[in-house]
Amino acid sequence: MFRWVVAVCLILLAATLAGYTLAGGSERADFAYVNSTGINTLDPAQMSWTPDIRVAINIWEGLTTYDPRTTRPREGAAYLPPDVSADHLTYTFTLRPDARWSNGDPVTSGDFVRAWRRAIEPGTAGDYAFFITDYIAGAGEYYEWRNHNVAALTALNRLARGWGVDDESARSLWGDAELPELAAARPGPEPPTVAEITSLDLDWGAIYRRRFERHAAELDARFVSVGLEAPNDHTLRVMLTRPCPYFLDLCAFAVMLPCHRSIELLREGVGDTGLTPEGLVVYDPQWTKPDYHANGYPGLITNGPYRVADWAFKRRLHLETNPHYWDRESIACRSIDMLVYSDLNTALMAYERGDVDFLPDMSVEYDHQLVELAVTGQRPDFIFPVVFGTYYYIFNCDSETVRGRANPFRDARVRKAFALCIDKRTLTDKVIGRGDPVSQHVIPVGTITGYESPPVAAGDAGEARRLLADAGYAGGRDLPPIDLLYSTGSQHGKVCEYLANTWRLELGVTVELRGKETKTFAEDKVKCNYMIARAGWYGDYADPTTFLDVFATGNGNNDAGYSNPTYDALLARAAAETDAARRMQLLADAEAMLVNDEFPALPLWQYTNLMAVKSHVRGLHPNPRLTFPFRYLSVQR
Amino acid sequence: MTRRIFNRLVWGLVTLGCIYVITFLMVVSAPGNPFAAAERNMPPEVVRALEARYSMDNQAAYFFQFLAGAVRFDFGPSFQYKDWTCSQIIARALPVSLTLGLVAMLIAVLVGVPVGVLSAVRRNSWFDLTSLGFILIGISLPAFVTGSALLIVFAIYLKVLPIGGWGRISQLVLPALTLSLPFMAYIARLTRVGMLDVLGSDFVRTAVAKGLDRRAVIWRHAFRVAFLPVLSYLGPAAAQAMTGSFVVEKVFNVPGLGIHFVDAALNLDRGLIMSCVLAYSAILILFNIIVDLLYAQVDPRIKEAA
Repeated sequence: MFRWVVAVCLILLAATLAGYTLAGGSERADFAYVNSTGINTLDPAQMSWTPDIRVAINIWEGLTTYDPRTTRPREGAAYLPPDVSADHLTYTFTLRPDARWSNGDPVTSGDFVRAWRRAIEPGTAGDYAFFITDYIAGAGEYYEWRNHNVAALTALNRLARGWGVDDESARSLWGDAELPELAAARPGPEPPTVAEITSLDLDWGAIYRRRFERHAAELDARFVSVGLEAPNDHTLRVMLTRPCPYFLDLCAFAVMLPCHRSIELLREGVGDTGLTPEGLVVYDPQWTKPDYHANGYPGLITNGPYRVADWAFKRRLHLETNPHYWDRESIACRSIDMLVYSDLNTALMAYERGDVDFLPDMSVEYDHQLVELAVTGQRPDFIFPVVFGTYYYIFNCDSETVRGRANPFRDARVRKAFALCIDKRTLTDKVIGRGDPVSQHVIPVGTITGYESPPVAAGDAGEARRLLADAGYAGGRDLPPIDLLYSTGSQHGKVCEYLANTWRLELGVTVELRGKETKTFAEDKVKCNYMIARAGWYGDYADPTTFLDVFATGNGNNDAGYSNPTYDALLARAAAETDAARRMQLLADAEAMLVNDEFPALPLWQYTNLMAVKSHVRGLHPNPRLTFPFRYLSVQR
Repeated sequence: MTRRIFNRLVWGLVTLGCIYVITFLMVVSAPGNPFAAAERNMPPEVVRALEARYSMDNQAAYFFQFLAGAVRFDFGPSFQYKDWTCSQIIARALPVSLTLGLVAMLIAVLVGVPVGVLSAVRRNSWFDLTSLGFILIGISLPAFVTGSALLIVFAIYLKVLPIGGWGRISQLVLPALTLSLPFMAYIARLTRVGMLDVLGSDFVRTAVAKGLDRRAVIWRHAFRVAFLPVLSYLGPAAAQAMTGSFVVEKVFNVPGLGIHFVDAALNLDRGLIMSCVLAYSAILILFNIIVDLLYAQVDPRIKEAA
């Protein structure tokens, strides 16, 4: 019996190990770096995570690319400078004739139009669709028109299948100019209720089909109104909604990267309309894989310095130089491995042993000790740059009540009082202990060339108490318990406890901490279901508007619900201003409003990033935007 | 026998169905929206259309759609990792976890069983006491402690084994060892207790009195009975080891199923949560069936009853 057990175990062990060995390992690339989360998506239209964007800007190339030191735009697939019209509204780019896709095809202006259109079509549009809808003439209108139609088609499709619709969909159907039979079936000025709509004796199936066909037929004609023209394969003309001094910076970003025409092989849709029943544009999401060949698809084709040679989910992304890249001769680092280490402690050990060359993120529990090593120069390979983002808390400036209690933060004096009494230095030095630079500003100071941050008046707890008394809450009386929302994990809990304690001591208020897990936290924040919430913002391009627009009325990311006509007017004046210095001054005035009087947000510190680069790696420059074009690297082991 | 296997398989499927229903109900009632982006907000019209596309606007339809797909091992797309389908994720991760778990279980049995038998035979000797100490450590120390300790000793100081990863035998040693420790300890303990019981029983005394060789009594007669509790433990233990340990995978950077399981839950990745649960349950049920059948082969009492 015992012999049997041992024999069976040994045979199984040998068989498993044999199978395992046959599966094989992989060779080390010239340069290996760590990504702790894995890639969320490689679709440039939908990505918003730094690790994803880091890969995208190395495998695709936009009209412009980033300078490795300054991150300012430099020549990419198009020649610089482009031909700009006198009113700063029309940019005409000429593409390099030697710009090539990784299969040898020339890069054409049509590839950019295709990509930018994908980036704003509902279904493929992602977080950064606004780069196009905000800046390119007609794109915003097209986007609105498409979203409206998608809403109508989704609702009609439900009705056609005998399913109910919700109130909002019902109202949107009622206002739909292309559905005369609806208004005829139920006349009257008031929109019908859901019950009324479903009780109407209409052939929803036929209505849906007619509406769908009409929309699909109209699609391309409508897109012509968007300010994008490709008069020939090498010329791209872009019409802007307003002067945009940083447009060339935007052009290097992920969402503006071109897209090879082979993707059309993977478009899904009803018949040959290219639309799903809901009116969405959807491609087989596997188009980003190098070894995906459904429907004759050749696998991912890119036009950047590198191409994806192999992608193992949450393990490794292997890049090799694009053999057709126009500047391939200058690339010293021929292959790159992005290795996924979900545990940063393990990643750090791998770095110390030399398995990886670059750790872009070292946010481990004991990182304050590593920061110490970096700033004292004991570890010259540890780098601790200040980055292009601010950690702040937002106040709910909009809702009258929150969770059944009156919301005092509609009053700017209360917001200011809560902001003034925080000792930020103690927070970063003692509570967090990393010594991150404290911030009085929303825009990280000194990160944008040509922008002078406005002065901020000092304040103290005494002034805070006076302000609170002015607002009618002397000594914190009559204030409801303050609802403080944060996402669990990381250091947010510690920060919240410090803030809550300070407010309790200095202002005499009670604070209730509400920690939530990331997804539900995001939902509460978006729905303004909080009084004070943890937030923060990373800039997307080198201009103050990337931070200031967040607080504009109606901005999709304005989770504070802040709305102030004076502030909006300042931003509008800046947008119309063509003199660079005057424009920056207007923007500084706008920021001064936020950080001196209005306080929709309480800035705490400027984001920093601790990273490690082996000394044998040259050409990797720490920069506030954490943008690393790998083609400039050289590795001398 | 065939009928017995068939019966067990049918009941296994019924169990799997119940697990699917319960998981589905829990997943659809969990708060939060998988389309809620962490940073930026999507237009509500588009969210509604996407929900329609992924049948999230009609739970009943989604229930049957997922079920119909699952029968063909097609679990649909992952919401979080849009470029991958759940089937691809599981097809890549499950073999990793199975290999690691199997190796760990085999180590656990190959070491745990002899240690258990020997400490029972040499009761209260120094060997018994030392192994008892190790068993206590193995059972009580969590994997992130033993794993990190092994890493520091073997990968950092001695530099004889790699930090982590997957693909080479050397990369398998430390995670398999870490994963096997608690199982090894428990198996040793079960064997020891079982052996002590059996060694004191009448038939062993008779065998010894009859003049049988002591080694033959221990290894052939006594062990056969003492192994039964170990065998029944092996089923769930193997299933647990093979469906991936989140901690071991994280510490040793092993691309297995455990990490996806936890991440899927955190990301509200509905399809991936349900496919991970189904994969886990299927393996658990399968191993229990195998152990039950083996049990019948080993234990004469059960064989007769059947």
